[in-house]
Amino acid sequence: MSRLRRALGRAGQYVLVLVAATTLNFLLPHLAPGDPVTYRYGGQTAALTPEQLDEVRASYGLDAGLPEQYWSFWAGLVRGDLGVSIGYSRPVLAVLAERLPWTLALVGVATLLAFGLGTLLGAVAAWRRGSRRDVGIVTGVLALDAMPGFWVGMLLISVFSVELGWFPSYGAAAITADGAAEWVGVAQRMVLPVATLTLASLGSIFLLARASMTSVLDEAFIRLARSKGISERRLAVRHALRNALLPVYTNLTLAVGTLVSGAVVVETVFAYPGIGRMIYEAVIARDYPLLQGAFLLVTVGVLAANLLADLTYPLLDPRVRRSEAVEAREPAR
Amino acid sequence: MTRSADTPATTGPGRSWTCSLPLHGVHPVRRVAFAVLAAALVAGGCSAGTGTAQPDQLRIAVAEDFGPLNILNQSEDPLTFLVYDRLVAPSPYAQDPQPWLATEVRNVDPKTWMISLREDVTWHDGEPLTAQDVAFTVSWFKEVPSGTYTHHITTVPHIAQVEVLDTYQVRLTCAYACPFLGTVTLAHVPIMPEHIWSGIEEPTRHTELPVGTGPYRLVSHEPGQGYRFEANPDYFAGEPLVETLLMPIIPNPTTTFTALRTGEIDAATQFLPPELVEQFRNADDIEVITTTPLQFPELRINYRRAPFDDPEFRRALSMAIDRRELNDTVWLGKGRVADRGYPHPDSPWTNPELRTTYQPQAARQLLDRLGFTDADGDGVREGPGGPLSYTIYVDGSVPVRVRATQLVAEQLREIGIGARAETIDTGALSNLLDSKEYDLYLDSIGAHGVADPTQFIMSHFSGYLWDLPEVPYPAFQALFGEWKAAETIEARAGVSWRMQELFNSRPTAIPLHYPSGELGYRPEAYDGWVESPGYGLVHKWSLLPREVAQGAGAILEPGR
Repeated sequence: MSRLRRALGRAGQYVLVLVAATTLNFLLPHLAPGDPVTYRYGGQTAALTPEQLDEVRASYGLDAGLPEQYWSFWAGLVRGDLGVSIGYSRPVLAVLAERLPWTLALVGVATLLAFGLGTLLGAVAAWRRGSRRDVGIVTGVLALDAMPGFWVGMLLISVFSVELGWFPSYGAAAITADGAAEWVGVAQRMVLPVATLTLASLGSIFLLARASMTSVLDEAFIRLARSKGISERRLAVRHALRNALLPVYTNLTLAVGTLVSGAVVVETVFAYPGIGRMIYEAVIARDYPLLQGAFLLVTVGVLAANLLADLTYPLLDPRVRRSEAVEAREPAR
Repeated sequence: MTRSADTPATTGPGRSWTCSLPLHGVHPVRRVAFAVLAAALVAGGCSAGTGTAQPDQLRIAVAEDFGPLNILNQSEDPLTFLVYDRLVAPSPYAQDPQPWLATEVRNVDPKTWMISLREDVTWHDGEPLTAQDVAFTVSWFKEVPSGTYTHHITTVPHIAQVEVLDTYQVRLTCAYACPFLGTVTLAHVPIMPEHIWSGIEEPTRHTELPVGTGPYRLVSHEPGQGYRFEANPDYFAGEPLVETLLMPIIPNPTTTFTALRTGEIDAATQFLPPELVEQFRNADDIEVITTTPLQFPELRINYRRAPFDDPEFRRALSMAIDRRELNDTVWLGKGRVADRGYPHPDSPWTNPELRTTYQPQAARQLLDRLGFTDADGDGVREGPGGPLSYTIYVDGSVPVRVRATQLVAEQLREIGIGARAETIDTGALSNLLDSKEYDLYLDSIGAHGVADPTQFIMSHFSGYLWDLPEVPYPAFQALFGEWKAAETIEARAGVSWRMQELFNSRPTAIPLHYPSGELGYRPEAYDGWVESPGYGLVHKWSLLPREVAQGAGAILEPGR
């Protein structure tokens, strides 16, 4: 009973956060100066009179008051309708569905690589803390971390596209390609942006993994294991790394939540058609429906990642599992 | 390629021109030349006049995603008119437009135009183009949500009536005299297929690929990624020279020009950044052409607010701007000094006598006369509303404009106006005009605004250059009355020139620089690029046989 109550309580929290975040996501774009119609038809060309601009505004339902627009937004949301993007003149869901796979592929692969590589390097550096290898790795990774992402991207393009000609410098897929060749082209075009994202996000994960590993290596159970004569490899992997992974895992699940928000800088440098670039362009164009849809997607992503962390953390950490079991056994007061 | 002989020219009381009759005067040599061209097209098909290789495909980077080229939404003329055509070509910005989908466009009386259509034009889906499509286009633009082309139908000019006389003849009647209809209106408005658009209830949300009559069919649009165009082998004016156009969307200029350098693209629609021009000029495999784009950055003035509502105060502002310093310092001497005011001096409709010169001393004296003096000696003049201290907004994402704004602010301080630059984002900047909450801001304006004489009028009704009828402007309104009454192109151009003089004597938008635009391409891929007024290099005229483009008056000859 108490487990059910706890589950319901947690679900209630999620719903509350979702409603609050969605409301903020609706309000924020509207609070910024400008609107999508003046961006599109006013400003530079100014070919339309104020009355004609109002006419266009009405055709998108932007002539209604903010409360009314907010209500329509929720009514649409309940029906699974996120509205029509003003910039793309297409349903928001369709626009998001087109962009999401590219972002998931790009940021997903880069996140996994960054976590894998960062953890490995962090563990290796911490294992011989203070050694020349440690100092070398820390210096190298921090130097990479200090470089802006766009600059790393330009550097990779300069070397691997311009000088060596190994990889294409832009885009997600060749427009002409089809069939098997298309997938080869897609993979080739992912290499440099994935490498850029991986290198740009490696530093923080490396430092986290190194600090966590260092802290675990100071624990008494490591000394005990070593005194028992366990091999160094087994000690490092089964005893130290396994425990050091817990904070890294927490960070990984939170990073999964931000996957769907894309990577603005890298998507711009490589002309990649992901969500990040789309959100940036939609912010500039004040494309309210698209921004609301994209922000909703990001909110749901973050909440889902939190839920994933909540659900899976006990599987990895027996202490949490045990404390939950004790709580569940305690009678309700 | 199929093509029938052109319909013979007819004459009437007004101006008339056909495929064999040039617009400005009936020059015998040109008439013969055009006849020879027509005969060559009919007899033997078309070939490249340039002698360059005709590649199977070209890869051309575009900077923006314009969607599936729904002309009511994102509109980019050079791309749109790969697919669509106009009755008259190439655009309202050319010196000498020629009948295109029409064989003849004839002004039978001041308010009436007769249009005869070619009989050999088909839409991309095989349906024939008829007078019904022309009539539909006019009616349709009156019904659909307003857009770039609306004013050509509803306001300046106002096409009150359209009558289909037979399958290939249509008569347009304006509400008031419309001598510009043939050279401006019909050279801008695309002709739409009735059989496609008549059944579409929400045309702004139509996202199917377009069906036009143009030299290319848009066969694929991948949002955020790019376009693919295929040549229309049955194009009435001749088969396009390149079979396939691939247009990746690359917003970032650095990425674009890296791709040009690596050979991943063959050309780009973006102008080269000034710092890359020399590097690309020196590259063996890249050519750079300097074009004269019909656009400029300008200082916009809120004429609704005091003291900017005083025409003399605005004149003082104009005299305080040192355009040469802007040209030399900010734009590194590339382009031209903007000392010929508004509209763009390269528009065939601009008064060639316009001059706006830098006269800081005269500006100071004028401000003194108007009663704006620096009583407290702090360097900033005061008026009835307090010190003359103003903010000039500018888009912070365009560094060169930020620098220009800072320099303009310095120049205004020189005459005792306390101005300071403030950066805001693109979205907020685009709202300033509509919000009316500004003193001054820096923006740019494109070909439609600076080279279309009817848009110049419209801009006085849209709130951009003025806000008629809400804000009265008797001097302009009197000229507008004369303009509407003028029944010939010459008379109307004369009134237009006086309107321009009036505008520049009390400007609400001050051009700061007439830019040049350097465009790069790989000549081994294709070397047939030609500049068309307002459209740069990438447009249909570069992709059609050279003599066809020349016949349409589409090529901007050097030294114009």
